Amino acid sequence: MPNSSEHASSFAEARFAALLDAAVDAILVIDSNGQIETFNRAAERLFGYQSVEICGQNVSTLMPDKYSHAHDSYLQRYLTTGERRIIGIGREVSAMRRDGSVFPVELSVGEVATGEKRRFVGIIRDISERRASEQELRQQQERLEHVTRLGTLGEMAAGIAHEINQPLTAIATYAHAARRLLSSDRMDAVRLDDVLGKMATQAERAGQIIERIRDLARRQSPSQELCDLNAIMDETLKLAEVDARYHDAPIVVEMTPGLPHAWLNSVQIQQVVLNLLRNAIEAGGAGTKLKLRTYARSKEELVVEVEDNGPGVPESLRTEIFNPFFTTRTDGTGMGLSISRSIVASHGGRIEVDAAPTGGAVFRVTLPTALGEIDE
Amino acid sequence: MSETGGIVFVVDDDEAVRDSLSLLLESASLQSQCFASADEFAEHYQGGMSGCLLLDIRMPGKSGLELRDWLDQQGAQLPIIFITGHGDVPMAVDAMKRGAIDFIQKPFSDDELLQRVQQALESEAGDRADRAEADRVRANFETLTPREREVMQQVVAGRVNKVIALDMDISQRTVEIHRARVMHKMGVRSVADLVRLASFLDK
Repeated sequence: MPNSSEHASSFAEARFAALLDAAVDAILVIDSNGQIETFNRAAERLFGYQSVEICGQNVSTLMPDKYSHAHDSYLQRYLTTGERRIIGIGREVSAMRRDGSVFPVELSVGEVATGEKRRFVGIIRDISERRASEQELRQQQERLEHVTRLGTLGEMAAGIAHEINQPLTAIATYAHAARRLLSSDRMDAVRLDDVLGKMATQAERAGQIIERIRDLARRQSPSQELCDLNAIMDETLKLAEVDARYHDAPIVVEMTPGLPHAWLNSVQIQQVVLNLLRNAIEAGGAGTKLKLRTYARSKEELVVEVEDNGPGVPESLRTEIFNPFFTTRTDGTGMGLSISRSIVASHGGRIEVDAAPTGGAVFRVTLPTALGEIDE
Repeated sequence: MSETGGIVFVVDDDEAVRDSLSLLLESASLQSQCFASADEFAEHYQGGMSGCLLLDIRMPGKSGLELRDWLDQQGAQLPIIFITGHGDVPMAVDAMKRGAIDFIQKPFSDDELLQRVQQALESEAGDRADRAEADRVRANFETLTPREREVMQQVVAGRVNKVIALDMDISQRTVEIHRARVMHKMGVRSVADLVRLASFLDK
């Protein structure tokens, strides 16, 4: 009964179509040439094509150029070798909407063989949101790691401060006592010699502590790589912008493109610039205007400048400010700029502070380029 | 510099800091004794010691704050000057709140340190004199008869003999006799002095 069988088949097709359109995921069917035969409602919504206009076109229309050229050959290879790359496996790939925008999807492919015709069913799920939240999480983790790193530095600095304070206290106290005893004629040469000896011992002790810290810093310093300074600044800005937004301190970025490369430890250089940005925000408070600038002073020298419109640094303090334990904050360790200076020095560079045209401060980090070693 | 006879007990785990402090105290003609840990001082401690403590707040083992609490439990009356290091300010504030008389941050100036030590010694000597007087007053008070104590209380309260006599239902002459004995036994010549001594009895 051909009639009834035809009827049954069209009924099955209608049921199939209803099922397809009810599906939440985009579903499409292609033939062995890659031509689209079926395109469900969810697919229409996802890609922005109507079923009638896309059916008959090659499925590569839905892929970014990078993949679309290769798709036909993938399909051909499977048909000739039977080697499965995606069928029955499912993977994350990129898809392209009608408007040309590319987005991540999870694609699973199944094969349907009816008689001689081979068809492939693709089920596509938009994973942009999942990707975005993964990305956000990863960035947060990175930020956290960075903060932890700076935090550890702060703790270490506090520990160092305490340790060095002991011999310094002893030296100062010995000196005060000796002067008092001398002024009241209760100190003879033998005794003075003894006290001076003790003071010298304590000074050496302080020196040993500093030597230990130097060793530590040497061991912890990872190698430098050939880097693009602007790329490092991009990374730094990602971290700094959280802080900047929180304090309503916009950062104007003026980076000179195409700077010569330099041998840099990107994490350390990030630390230096981040520290400068944070100092500027702390000095100027909410609403501070910041500028981050990069340029090449010559073929040999790169410059990073952090400028603010805060209170500025008085001329008398422009050297002292880089000394260890110098701080204007009650909760500061006074180690930030001192460590920054060591980092910059280990790169063969220098750091200095000047008055900005706006009256604020401009911190200038000068770093040597990898002169003639690379031309990119 | 006034002579209080008190000893400065230096408790610091750092030998050089300890040694230099004792030299500085010596330069100001102050007697000192050094201890390398809170426990070492606790072992040495005896009630009735006079002087003050120069105590490092941060030490391995028992901390300066813990020693303070222990001394509190012993009813020790020694004033404490805490020596604090870099970044110990919150700890020092806590110590102040809990009754330390002072704290000083390392590295310190000699004038500042000696001035504070001197203040602590004087304050402790003053307290000690007050306590000695209070003991004496209490001992004298113990020798009064119940009647004499009653009369003393009325006198201190500012009542005249006539009122006291009426109140206690005795003759004015008897009041006068009791009153004379009270003054004699308490070792005072005026009512004003008696009132001052009576204030020690309340403590």
